[in-house]
Amino acid sequence: MSSPPEVVTGFGSLRRTTVQPAVTPGADPAGPAAAPRTKRRAGLALGIRAQLLLVLTVFLAVPWLGYEYVQELERFLRDAQERTLAGTAQAVATALHDRGPLFEIPVAPLDTLPAERTRDDAAPRSGSVATPGSPEIAQILHGLSRTTARIFVVDREQHVLARAGSLKRAPAPEAPAPDASYPARFVAWLDREALQPLYARLLQSPTEDFSDERPGRAVATGKDVEGALAGILTIDRRPTADGKAVIVAAAHPIWVGDEVKGAVIVEETTNAVLAERNRAFARLFNIVLAALLVGSVALTLYASWLSMRIRRLRDEAEAAIDARGRVRGKLPGSSARDEIGDLSRSFGNALARLTQYASYQEAMAGRLSHELRTPIAVVRSSIDNLALQPLPDDARVYIGRAQEGLGRLASIITRMTEATRLEESLAEAERERFDLARVIVGCVDGYRAAYPGRTFELRVPSGEASYYGAPDLVAQMLDKLCENAVEFATPGTAIVVALQEDETRFRIAVTNRGPSLPATMQGRLFDSMVSVRDRHVDSGPHLGLGLYIVRLIAEFHGGRAIAANRDDGDGVTVSVTLPRVRAER
Amino acid sequence: MTRRIAIVEDEPAIRENYADVLRKHGYEVATYANRADALRAFKSRLPDLAVVDIGLRDDVDGGFALCRELRALSASVPIIFLSARDSDFDVVAGLRLGADDYLTKDVSLPQLLARIAALFRRSDLLAAPQASEEILERGSLSLDLKRLTAHWAGKRVDLTLTEFWMVHALARFPGHVKERDALMREAEIVVDDGTITSHVKRIRKKFLALDPAFDCIETVYGMGYRWNAAA
Repeated sequence: MSSPPEVVTGFGSLRRTTVQPAVTPGADPAGPAAAPRTKRRAGLALGIRAQLLLVLTVFLAVPWLGYEYVQELERFLRDAQERTLAGTAQAVATALHDRGPLFEIPVAPLDTLPAERTRDDAAPRSGSVATPGSPEIAQILHGLSRTTARIFVVDREQHVLARAGSLKRAPAPEAPAPDASYPARFVAWLDREALQPLYARLLQSPTEDFSDERPGRAVATGKDVEGALAGILTIDRRPTADGKAVIVAAAHPIWVGDEVKGAVIVEETTNAVLAERNRAFARLFNIVLAALLVGSVALTLYASWLSMRIRRLRDEAEAAIDARGRVRGKLPGSSARDEIGDLSRSFGNALARLTQYASYQEAMAGRLSHELRTPIAVVRSSIDNLALQPLPDDARVYIGRAQEGLGRLASIITRMTEATRLEESLAEAERERFDLARVIVGCVDGYRAAYPGRTFELRVPSGEASYYGAPDLVAQMLDKLCENAVEFATPGTAIVVALQEDETRFRIAVTNRGPSLPATMQGRLFDSMVSVRDRHVDSGPHLGLGLYIVRLIAEFHGGRAIAANRDDGDGVTVSVTLPRVRAER
Repeated sequence: MTRRIAIVEDEPAIRENYADVLRKHGYEVATYANRADALRAFKSRLPDLAVVDIGLRDDVDGGFALCRELRALSASVPIIFLSARDSDFDVVAGLRLGADDYLTKDVSLPQLLARIAALFRRSDLLAAPQASEEILERGSLSLDLKRLTAHWAGKRVDLTLTEFWMVHALARFPGHVKERDALMREAEIVVDDGTITSHVKRIRKKFLALDPAFDCIETVYGMGYRWNAAA
């Protein structure tokens, strides 16, 4: 698995300081941290569905197992066939044992084998052909002949004395297509058009279209005949003369006394076995295919459902935390009792704790200041008391220093409570209609006086910019924006305060030249107690509340605060959008 | 006659520090650590002025309750809230209960002394018959600098000491912008800009209650406030 996406970890400590790198235009701002905050995993292309389907390929082993099984079945059937043939041969031979005279007659051997016949032109059970050589034997064979077997009786010279039966089977009658419903017809079609050709490729299908013409009277020269004439029951397997089928032959000796007088040969093609095997295989394969098909459809549906739930959870989790990492709302939390439901609930819990922590963090400033005030009051009143005593002059110096330190402490506390107090006063802030441009111009005049070393450039549209809001708050927001800009501006450069106006909103932008924003802080600048300042800026205590106040005021007006680097990389623009209020009360 | 000041404060160090400095300045001081003690003492003998903390140990709003009870005993005893809490809500609540001033514990002892002296002066002069007057007149506004009272078009404007000093600082030089820092100095308070804003808002409301057309206090954004003499 790839590594988890980069997330900014940890929360602003009381003084989170990041030393600014010396910034040159176009320089890489913050090394590895410059990666986007969250990036999608590259390997996500293989979704759960695809993975499950991949797992499903394991079941492709099932057809192979089936194939092995069918092979085994085929062996078993062959054995059975051989045993049956041997049994038949033995039965015929038994009927001929010790009937020496049958073999004594001079033989009028058959010149050739008769043309192969089909069952159609042969009368039932009349596959046997009486040989001129031995009508008695033919008579006996006639009673023993089997429908799909060919029986020969040969003498010691391997002359055929009698013969019965045929190797060829009647073709199976075409199963009449039942008047099937559409799906059944579809299955039949599929079977005919797709599956059967496939099976035909995989398996050798038996054919009745073979020929096993043998020349002359030396009918049987195979091992089986030789073995039988040597007095042993022999089973042999050989291809037909044209190689299109395999014939299994069993030969049994015929004893007259202690002497082998001839042999009975029973032959049969393996077509029946092959057909049986093929049918079994097709059936098995059909079932496996159907099971695989149903299984993969079910798995796909299941996986879709799973991934839908997970995606929904992801969307909910992403929606619950906004781009700035603030918890926007509670996660609904699924009530499902499985692991995903569990995950969603624990997500919900984590978010709730995060919310708690964030509000704790935001409330901490207020609480801390309250707790600090009492001990400071103890120190301050003690020092004040001391100062009222008659004291040597050098002691006064120390008192002065202590008071100075106290003053600084007090100003820190004042800053800490500023945001809290603002949050409280926002609740009862009143809006009024006022001229935004006039407030901005007035404020900037004030800044020119307050920061004599700085130049401020004002870009305000002429004419009134009538806005319905809280002018005090807007001024306070501007104070913070400019305080921030002054602090980071390169000395000697101008700070630009601009007001833009369009149909739906005003936009106040304060731009300063100087270092750009560290990438890690992007999006978090407007949180409580987050500061990117160098620790050694000597212009007073910083708690990272200035831009938080900006955000609070912007949000009070239904707007947003955004910080962005200048296009040329030299400096930062912090802007606030203030939507015009449609309905005024 | 020695004036008697009651300090109700749960933190012993602060209580004693305040008591010491007040004693040094010739006041008689009685200290109480909780509301029950204080109330019992008030019922037997009223102090001339009370400095009350809002949170008294476990009694989170004990100071507010005490203020209400003391006001019920006497309508004229000056009451100063001295608290670590500085939210607008607490300030408004405290002043609404009839306190004369609301200070945070940032206040220095000299500032506290100045306030106490001013409050005594005001209560003395309010009780006394019309004497030599030191009046600042600005249009409809008239400020009695001795009694520390303000009138608008002849009607009394009920300002706290802090508010009176702020109005005075503004009205002394009409048309001049008073920066927030200057206002703070003249009102003998140490607070942040936001508190100044809410003070000014409260002052405006008090005048507006008497005269809906009042707009003498103008906000000069980025600078401070200005008394608009034209009105």
